[in-house]
Amino acid sequence: MTSSEHIPQAARQMTDDSYLLEVKNLRKHFPITAGILARLKGYTRAADDVSFYIRQGETLGLVGESGCGKTTVGRCVVRAYKPTAGEILYRRADGSVVDLAQIRGREVRTYRKDIRFIFQDPYAALNPRMTVFDLISEVLAVNHIGTRAERVDQVESLLKRVGMRPEYMRRYPHAFSGGERQRISIARALITNPRLVVCDEAVSALDVSVRVQILNLLEELQADFDLTYLFISHDLSVIRHICDRVNVMYVGKLVETAEATELYTQPKHPYAEALMSAVPVHDPVLRDSQHRIRLEGEIADPSNPPSGCYFHPRCRYAQPRCSTEEPALHDLGNGHFAACHFAEELNLQGVRMG
Amino acid sequence: MADTLIDVKDLRIHFFTDEGVVRAVGGVDLAITRGKTLALVGESGCGKSVACRALLNIVHRPGKIVSGEIIFHRMFHQSSGSGSDASVDIAELNPKGREIRDIRGKEIAMIFQEPMTSFSSMYTIGNQIMENILLHTNLSKQEARILTIELLDKVGIPKPSRLIDEYPFRLSGGMRQRAMIAMALSCSPTLLIADEPTTALDVTTQANILDLMQNLQKQYEMTLLFITHDLGVVAEIADEVAVMYLGKIIEKSDVFTLFNSPAHPYTQALLKSVPKIAMTREALDPIKGMVPNPYSRPSGCPFHPRCPKAFAACKTIVPKTTSLGLHHTVQCLLYEDVTERQATEALS
Repeated sequence: MTSSEHIPQAARQMTDDSYLLEVKNLRKHFPITAGILARLKGYTRAADDVSFYIRQGETLGLVGESGCGKTTVGRCVVRAYKPTAGEILYRRADGSVVDLAQIRGREVRTYRKDIRFIFQDPYAALNPRMTVFDLISEVLAVNHIGTRAERVDQVESLLKRVGMRPEYMRRYPHAFSGGERQRISIARALITNPRLVVCDEAVSALDVSVRVQILNLLEELQADFDLTYLFISHDLSVIRHICDRVNVMYVGKLVETAEATELYTQPKHPYAEALMSAVPVHDPVLRDSQHRIRLEGEIADPSNPPSGCYFHPRCRYAQPRCSTEEPALHDLGNGHFAACHFAEELNLQGVRMG
Repeated sequence: MADTLIDVKDLRIHFFTDEGVVRAVGGVDLAITRGKTLALVGESGCGKSVACRALLNIVHRPGKIVSGEIIFHRMFHQSSGSGSDASVDIAELNPKGREIRDIRGKEIAMIFQEPMTSFSSMYTIGNQIMENILLHTNLSKQEARILTIELLDKVGIPKPSRLIDEYPFRLSGGMRQRAMIAMALSCSPTLLIADEPTTALDVTTQANILDLMQNLQKQYEMTLLFITHDLGVVAEIADEVAVMYLGKIIEKSDVFTLFNSPAHPYTQALLKSVPKIAMTREALDPIKGMVPNPYSRPSGCPFHPRCPKAFAACKTIVPKTTSLGLHHTVQCLLYEDVTERQATEALS
C-alpha cells in the first residue's frame, strides 16, 4: 500500500522541465474556533492562492513580515501541514512528477528523505537528551538505512563537511554554541542526501559573525551536494545575499516574484518597495539623504482581510479600484510577476547599490 | 565636564557561578555625552546588556559590580541653589535604596528587547504606565491617567483613550513597543537606555519605531544609549558608537569615522562580514572561529585568536586604550607603542 500508483498521479505535469517543485494555488486555512464546543468562527488564511516554482539547483527566497504565511508555505512543502487546497508538484529523481498535496500517511515518509527542513532556533530544534550522533542519524535509524557502523561513518564525514570535529559526536547539544548547533541541524538535514532543503530563518537567531559562516557553508554545500533551497527569511539583506530568485509575501498572498537583483533594484509592487526602503543602509552618510517610505497602520489580519488588494489601506499609490478589485499576479516579462493593478505604470524606487 | 551625562570608569562586573567566575564586563570606560545618541554594539555575550543594566544598578546575583565608578551628573532645574553638578556614583548606591529608586524610571529609563515579555500580562497598559507616574510625581490618579493618554497618543497609538484599558496581549509587537516607550518617557528621563528595542520587530515596524525614538529624543532633549548588534541600525541613528568585545570597549568613535575608517581589526571584520542590502551577491568574509567560552577568556588581547592581524605580543599583552584623534579611541596593539610601554613599566 505504500506505492503511490493507486492514486491517480500519472497525468501530473509541470510547466517546465527545469522545475524541481511547482506549487499551484496552494491554500492553507486554519480554522478559528470558539467555546467549549469548538464552534467554527472563521478561517485564518495563512496561505491563500500561492503559486510559485523552484528550478533544480537554485535558491528561492521567501520574504515577508511576521505573520505573512511564509513559514506556512514552507511547512506545506515538507508536508508538515496538509494543504487545504492546491497542488505541490515535486519531480522525483527518476523524472516522474508527484503531487505532494495528495499523498497521505506512510507515503509522506518517502519524501521526508528528499525534502528536508532546517529550523530557525538551534536551541529548540535539537533534543537535549540525544547525542549529536543520535540526532543526526535518527532519520537513518528510523528508516533502517545502513548498519550502525555505516551510520557512524556517514555522520563522521558529514560532521567534517559542515566544519565540526567528528570526535564531538558523543556529546549532547548543550555543549555547543548557537553556530555549532546550526551546523548540527544542517548535518541532520543533509544526512539523507536530500534534493530540496527548506531553510526557515536558518540564520536569523545567530550572531553576526557566525551568520556569515553559516551562509557561506550553505552555499558551499549547495554546490557540493547539488541542493535546491527554499530560503525563508524576514531579513532582506540575507535573502539578497543567498537567493537567485525571491518571492515576496503579504498576508498569505504572493505579491511579487522576480530574479533577486531585479527585485531589489526595480521592485514593481508598492509593498516590496516599502519593505526594501525600510531596511537600514549600512552607511551613516546616506541616512538623511535617503527618501524613506513609512508604512502607516498595521499588517492586515489574515482572518479578516481588507477588500480588494490586501495592501491598499497602507499603500501610498492606492486608487479607488484597489479597494474593490483584487489584483492577480501577472507577468511583467523576464520572470518578473507582481500582483498590483498599476505594476506597469508605477515608477518605484529600489535599493541604491553601494 | 558639563556635557558629559554619565562617566563610567573602569567598570567591572563579574558573575560568580558554580562553574567559575565570568568576567562579563572587564574594565569599561565610557563617557556618555548629554543629548547625543550613543550606540553600544557587540555580539551576544559581549557584556553590553549587563554594562547598561549597571547604569540602573540592576545587576542581579550571581552578578556583582566588582569595581568601578558610574558617575551620573544630575541636573536639577528646580533647585534654587547652583547645584548644577550634583553628581552621584550609581555603582556605590544600595541597589534597593531610596536614592537609586528615585533615579530608576525617572531620570534614567529603560526599554527592553522583548515587547512581549516586558509588560506584565496581568495589568492593563494604562495601569502599568500610571504606576511609574504615580511613584515619581505628585500627580493625582486622574491627572496621571490624562498624562498617560497624552503619552500613548504621542507615541502613535491609535485611540489611546480606549487602548489605555487594554491588556498587553491585545496589542501587536510594534504597538507594545510603542507603549513601552510611552512608559519610559512618562517621567521625562534625562537618559533613555534602549536594549535592542527593535530586534524583535519587523523591518517596516523597526523603521517607524526608530523614527519615533529620534523625534522624541529631540522633543525631550534626551540622551539615548542604544544597545544593538545591528550595524544597519547603528548607521541609521547613532552619533557615537562604542564597539564591545568580550567585556571590553575595543573601539569608540563618532559614527562616520567608525564606518569609514574603522581601526580595530574586529570592527573592520564585523563591518565586512555583514550582508548588506545594497550589495550584489558576492562571498562575504566571515570572522573565523567563534566567541570564546566565557569561562576561559583568551589571554592578552581578547580578540587575538580570531584576529587576522595578530602578532606574537597580542597573546600576552593586554592592549590599553590608545587615542587616534578627537573622540576616536581603540584598544589594539597595532596602534600602541608596546616597547615604550614595557620600558615605562620596567622603570616603575
